[in-house]
Amino acid sequence: MMENKNLIEKLERASLPEIEIASHKRRLKRALINEYFREERKGDVFNIVRKLVPLGAVAAVLVALIFNNLIFPKYSLAEAEKIALNDPQIKEWTEKGSVIKDIEIINNKAYILIQPQEEIQKPSAFLKAETSEIKEEFAGALVEVDFRGKKVSKIEKIAPEIASLTEKEQERVKEISTNDPEVNKIIPKEASILKIKTTPPSMKLKREDDSVNVVPESNTDKEVKIIYEYNRNQWESKIDLNKEEVKSVNFLGEVPE
Amino acid sequence: MNLDEEKELIKRAKKDPDVFGKIYGEYYSKIFGYTLKRVANIDIAQDITSETFFKAFKNLWKFRWQNIPFSAWLYRIASNETANFFRKKGRKTISLEGISELISDSNPFAEIAEAQEQLKRHKEFLDLQKKISTLSLKYQEVITLRFFEKKQIKEIGEILGKKEGTIKSLLHRGLDKLRRQINATN
Repeated sequence: MMENKNLIEKLERASLPEIEIASHKRRLKRALINEYFREERKGDVFNIVRKLVPLGAVAAVLVALIFNNLIFPKYSLAEAEKIALNDPQIKEWTEKGSVIKDIEIINNKAYILIQPQEEIQKPSAFLKAETSEIKEEFAGALVEVDFRGKKVSKIEKIAPEIASLTEKEQERVKEISTNDPEVNKIIPKEASILKIKTTPPSMKLKREDDSVNVVPESNTDKEVKIIYEYNRNQWESKIDLNKEEVKSVNFLGEVPE
Repeated sequence: MNLDEEKELIKRAKKDPDVFGKIYGEYYSKIFGYTLKRVANIDIAQDITSETFFKAFKNLWKFRWQNIPFSAWLYRIASNETANFFRKKGRKTISLEGISELISDSNPFAEIAEAQEQLKRHKEFLDLQKKISTLSLKYQEVITLRFFEKKQIKEIGEILGKKEGTIKSLLHRGLDKLRRQINATN
């Protein structure tokens, strides 16, 4: 029979989940900031109308419109996205699977971070005839939107951080993968390593006074993928470099002729 | 952050979206962590956290300082929203997609799946939480705040708007009921 004292001890020492969903945090922040601007607009209009009632309703509405739209325009994240997505280059990237990761508004400009979507859920969708050479991949871009001109004023591509592993590191990665029971269970012994590649880190915008920088998200795992091939079948093992363990093993499918 | 600094920050947040963003960044993890410990489900915790912040945001404009920390006010909203969830399961929740249909994001499914896996690994917590969730809401609140959120009796009183004596008594009775519940199932 458990006593109160034991129960308190059990409750006090229980290991608690410390989980955070970064994508939810970001999306909720954006939605709230959008709401902020909407509410603020409503507030501005109300205050101005109240002050100008003696001058007549028409005049008040006009003044409110001028204040809100011309003299002190408040720019929203949705507006920034809309302008950015009208740009042909950004449209092309998003059609190819890149997404808007983060937005910061500074004065009359918005800074938008675009990055390729993470490869998840459908491994077969990423199956391709891999080669051992490293292709230059789109790692993302920082886009500057000019609200006044209603256009994209600058696009800076982010340098792809394909941090090549040293020979020693490559050996270590192979060792982790080869010794993993899940890898041995799923991938045939005869399969050869086709490619070892690092995954570009997930980035975010960091605001510093009147400028923004693109920085890696602090909680991003350092991940390496090993692509195996045997009889035109491909597998992928993902290795967490920080923890030095295999995170997942996936069958990618058969390489098309 | 002391109470005066917090008061100043809230005042500025009403006029400056950056400050508002800072406040959000400061409290998001605490509120998400608390709701997760109350419901032990990632999706529901996300929904309740969204509702909490939207409600807090809507009321921020009329928020009057009452000498209790801002976080206590947020925890109180989160507690009420959690209670609403338990009262009417299957209610409509705020959809972020509906609010910002233009906004795309990195695919969150893998992140949620990983978080669910991570949660499953805390078996001892999940067992305790399951037992706690069978108690009345008033006991669930005090036990979670005291033991999982590590709040002091005074802080729990501020969050729930109750006197310290009441909290002590709720805690005592709640623990007693929880202990009996555990003993009965073992």
